[in-house]
Amino acid sequence: MSMETVEPVIVVEDLQVAYGDKVVLDEINLAVQPGEIFVILGGSGSGKTTLLRNLVGLMRPQSGRILIDGLDFTSMSAQERMGIRRKMGMCFQGSALLGSLSVADNVALPLREHTKLEESTIDIMTRIKLELVGLSGFEDYLPSELSGGMRKRAGIARAMAMDPKIIFYDEPSAGLDPIVAAGLDELIRTMQSTFNLTSVVVTHEMESVRIIADRVCVLHKGLVAGVGSLDELERSAHPYIQQFFARRPDDSDTADADYAQSLTSID
Amino acid sequence: MTDLFGRVGRWALGQLKAALEVSVLMVDTVVWLVVAPFRGLGFRWRNSVESFVEFGVRSLPIVAMISFLIGVIIALQASYTLAQWGANRYIADLVAVSAMRELAPLMTAILIAGRCGSAITAEIGTMKVNEEIDALVVMGVNPIKYLVAPKFLAMVTAVPSVTALAMLVMIIGGWTSSVFVVGVETEIYVTQTIGAIVEKDLLTGMVKSVFFGVAICWVGVYRGFQVEGGAEGVGRQTTASVVTSIFLIIIVDLVFTVLFYYV
Repeated sequence: MSMETVEPVIVVEDLQVAYGDKVVLDEINLAVQPGEIFVILGGSGSGKTTLLRNLVGLMRPQSGRILIDGLDFTSMSAQERMGIRRKMGMCFQGSALLGSLSVADNVALPLREHTKLEESTIDIMTRIKLELVGLSGFEDYLPSELSGGMRKRAGIARAMAMDPKIIFYDEPSAGLDPIVAAGLDELIRTMQSTFNLTSVVVTHEMESVRIIADRVCVLHKGLVAGVGSLDELERSAHPYIQQFFARRPDDSDTADADYAQSLTSID
Repeated sequence: MTDLFGRVGRWALGQLKAALEVSVLMVDTVVWLVVAPFRGLGFRWRNSVESFVEFGVRSLPIVAMISFLIGVIIALQASYTLAQWGANRYIADLVAVSAMRELAPLMTAILIAGRCGSAITAEIGTMKVNEEIDALVVMGVNPIKYLVAPKFLAMVTAVPSVTALAMLVMIIGGWTSSVFVVGVETEIYVTQTIGAIVEKDLLTGMVKSVFFGVAICWVGVYRGFQVEGGAEGVGRQTTASVVTSIFLIIIVDLVFTVLFYYV
């Protein structure tokens, strides 16, 4: 079967998001194919986190639609959203583990809330998920007792608890040393290949993009600057994409002018 | 001038928005507390019991100590005036009535607001800052069900329970200073106290304290969800939580006093 005939898992149509009068995302059109690692790349303030928050339903867009498995996620009732949410997992930037619960309890939380499984079964499933991310033996630790990289791994284990179809990662390698970050990139790859997970990764780290990405979407000032494989994007003529990939600083004159304007403009 | 109108308008709109948000929060809490358990959606009883221990049992030492001292003080103050008329035996009446109707419910509520209302705000606020609330939502776990409903049940039961004890301890405090400082006989103190206690006073004190609990919990939760922007935001809302709930406690107190004794 060719890529074209496969139904995309996530479709974003004409998405527009604004905080008050300030439009932060506009004319966003995307399709994420099943089983691929789709990277949303962009600098600070490009709107990539906002896009992610819309994809997982933490924010509602001003206009446009988000289809998950062909169902309109933006207009459905709270009850229907719950159903869709069980197909999704999300790893937060700061891992967002509940600080009052042990690592095992964090991973078991979705199972306890959504299933009627026996406690012994939940216990086994929790161990399996922790084993998967290389954290077996840390069941009884509190999140505050773990290192940053381990917390992210525990976050992935929790996101995987309900065996989701789609997993979202918010800045997985932010704030980690290169070795731990590389380990996480590898884990993201392993998860995708083992479970055929559709993965959406928001990041600004070019190094990890080169390792994990099947396709990349570059956001710039709330607009899609380009979508495609890394090779395609590297050949792109878009000045921002070229600048981003070449890791070139802003032209200091225009940057200063932008800065001055941002200070003097009135919202 | 237009600037002034603009400010007043924005302030009013802000208050209206807050009132709307609190109402939604109230309805949600009641739904998750009353309706959900019967539809098989579950209620975190264990967590609620833990919160009860935190709000109620752990508040006992400080509430008991302060209630005892207030009882001692009222009796001494009362004696200063009543002694002039040779009416020291009525100290007991005064202590009993003021403890049951007003001072025990009020002091307990204010202490629990300071101890636990602020803690609720800090906990929920920190969870919000750390994206833990977002994580719950994404996992399909309703934060009201998971965090608020158990605390709410714990608070509305803990405040009246502690209040009942505070009433008793305040009366004992009054007895202590009456007997050992003023020189009233224990027998007289006890008979006077029993004679002074009216069922209605006990009832109004209890009903009030349930609503104090409601106020403390909702203000704490609402302020927690209001937290924006890191540790500083948590601090600001925690302070606001205590101030707002004490203010609301006084308003609720006023309303119930008018309702019970003047309507």
